[in-house]
Amino acid sequence: MYRQARLLGVLLLLQVVAMVGISVWLFSTIDWDRVVHLTNEQGQVHAKTIDGPLLKRFEQAILFVVYFLAPAILLLLAGLGFVLLRRRGWMLASVAQALIMLACLFFYGDSRPWFAYPLIAYCILMILLLNSRSVRAVVHRNRVTPQDGRSELAHGE
Amino acid sequence: MANRENARDAEALLRRFEPVIRFTKGEWFYPMDAEPYVDACSLWVRHPDEDAVCVVSSGELTLERLAQQPEDTTGAVHYLKIPTPKEDEERGRRRARRSQKDPDWPRETFRAGRGRLARVGYISRLADALFSLVLLARGRVPGGDVEGARVLYGRFMEEKERFKYHGRVVRQDGWIVLQYWLFYAFNDWRSNFFGANDHEGDWEKVMVFLSESESGEVHPEWTAYAAHEETGDDLRRRWDDPELEKSDGHPVVYVCAGSHASRYSRGEYLTELAFPLPRALAAVRRVARRFWYVTLRQYADQYSAEVPYEMFTIPFVDYGRGDGLSVGPGQDREWDPPRLMIDPLPSWVAGYRGLWGLYTRDPFEGEDAPAGPMYDRDKTISREWYDPVGWAGLDKVATRTEELDVISRRQAEIEVRRDHLRSEIREKSHRLKALGMDAEATRDRSHLSKLYETETKHIKELSEEVEAMRAELTEDEVLGESLRDHAERLRNGGRSPVRAHIAHATRPVSEAETRAGRVAQLWASISVGLVLLTLIGVFTYQRQHLLSALVLTIAMFAFIEAGFRRRLTRFIVSVNVALAIVGALVLLQHFFWQIIVLAVLGIGFYILWENLRELRQ
Repeated sequence: MYRQARLLGVLLLLQVVAMVGISVWLFSTIDWDRVVHLTNEQGQVHAKTIDGPLLKRFEQAILFVVYFLAPAILLLLAGLGFVLLRRRGWMLASVAQALIMLACLFFYGDSRPWFAYPLIAYCILMILLLNSRSVRAVVHRNRVTPQDGRSELAHGE
Repeated sequence: MANRENARDAEALLRRFEPVIRFTKGEWFYPMDAEPYVDACSLWVRHPDEDAVCVVSSGELTLERLAQQPEDTTGAVHYLKIPTPKEDEERGRRRARRSQKDPDWPRETFRAGRGRLARVGYISRLADALFSLVLLARGRVPGGDVEGARVLYGRFMEEKERFKYHGRVVRQDGWIVLQYWLFYAFNDWRSNFFGANDHEGDWEKVMVFLSESESGEVHPEWTAYAAHEETGDDLRRRWDDPELEKSDGHPVVYVCAGSHASRYSRGEYLTELAFPLPRALAAVRRVARRFWYVTLRQYADQYSAEVPYEMFTIPFVDYGRGDGLSVGPGQDREWDPPRLMIDPLPSWVAGYRGLWGLYTRDPFEGEDAPAGPMYDRDKTISREWYDPVGWAGLDKVATRTEELDVISRRQAEIEVRRDHLRSEIREKSHRLKALGMDAEATRDRSHLSKLYETETKHIKELSEEVEAMRAELTEDEVLGESLRDHAERLRNGGRSPVRAHIAHATRPVSEAETRAGRVAQLWASISVGLVLLTLIGVFTYQRQHLLSALVLTIAMFAFIEAGFRRRLTRFIVSVNVALAIVGALVLLQHFFWQIIVLAVLGIGFYILWENLRELRQ
């Protein structure tokens, strides 16, 4: 019964690994010496950017961390929750997927980096999986559906 | 003489089943006699595109004079008007109200409890704000009128406390209908209870449906309480329904504060003012919901096909708490003898087709006073007057004394039809066999091919006819058996399920729904304003990233809102699905051919795998 939940947990952890991998790769491709040139003249430090495209890549790496750090933490917690606690973590995972998708769509609108596409594809798969009947049956067991309080229609006589 | 006897009988019957009415703390207006109200009002008439003219001034009007409408021409609207309180009287009243010593009305102050806005979403809150703004532009009852009505009603009650209803007894389709028409001087739902509307004068009704045995004994079978403009099956309850509370044989009605809508159970009701959505928008909404809940079978338990997609609603709370004054037999206050509306009808009932209070020319009519018991606002006779049985959806229901007779008659009808069908089937079967034989005889004879074709065609038609008749016969047999069983059940004292006729039972909101933290209430009150201010901020300072900022802002507010309304799961699922669709479109745009190739490859491998597996087995 909980096999599905564990599998989901593993897939979420894989997503974290992939994101960390992309972020490491992004930072590793930056030649730090060429991004910022620091000079010390008469006791004052001057920073000068010398390479436009590299600077762009640097920006991208920073933005990647800013956008994906929080979702990665959420994913990690959710993945561990599914693997260790079996039924915990659905909400965290769903929120994380939403944040990742939003971030990817922003990236897509801006610079269209290559990593946005696999992340989007993976997110779509995870969203489908999170909302699949079998996962919901495990995760939402015992959850009471709130009933809508609306009770009638009238016309304000 | 006969009339007097009729009146006595009618009054006795009315008093035997007169309702017990429980009000909400803080209610100002209670059921009263129409006469002192009319005596105090002035009568006005408004012709199209003309100013209103006073026809009979205050103090000169009586119930008898009310029916005289000399200027009742096409388009003219007659209406009553509550007198404006004299300045000193009003000042005294206000002072008295502040000191809470006098007048007696209300004895208790109203407390709204959980804000209605906390119970609904942004769109409804925004619509509510717009509704309030629109109210400034459209016709509405001026605020001073509430005060006028309070002064007037306070004066009546100070002179003598009276609680009166207007009774009518009518026979229709085997039913004896007891109509209790309750007249209130004012509907102050909007002014005092955060409701949808105010209007001068308010006619509400409660009906009890009796059956009469052969010995002349009457039995209460159904009740129907009017709430807003509802009609039909949903508003009636059977006498043995546990929801129908009774006090010593009298039905109990919970009257909502201000609106005076009648309810079966105490509680707070979320009443929605419905406006039609543009057709295209309604269609999109319907299709999207069906796709999500039915086609994809997502959260299907939360899907309701009856949700009125064509409607856009604004919520209002009807407070039917029943914690205030109780009027009726054996209660805080007893009913005074009723004013009867029986044949010959009093002239004020049949002759006055105008409104019972201010005519504000509100296009939605919510702020216009209602017409009298017999008429609608457009001067046509109201259904609850000429067809109370149909109004309550009882036109298809037999009285208990009639039930077995109705079944016997129906069984006899079915038996006759079955005999007729049997003989027709017999005759047509013979004909069919004869035609079959003809066809067999003419088959493969080239010179008779035309005849063969015609006969084959006839055989087909006749065969279909006989098939339909046999189906009908079988249905009749099953129906006959069901009627026999049903009759047996009735003879043994059995009855149909007590609530089988109710499709949408109006129910008060549960305690869990009314429980909300102060933060949630505060959020509900400020959220719409906050959203608008934030949007203005985004438009002013984030023009460069307008779309992103807008999306983020809306998503953030929606997330907080969903959290407060305990709908976070649904919200997240919806957002994720929407994002997944957008993401899929992005991928499709960039990798269209790759995706097609992959899909075809996938299908190919799958078919290959399936076929090979079959081969191995």
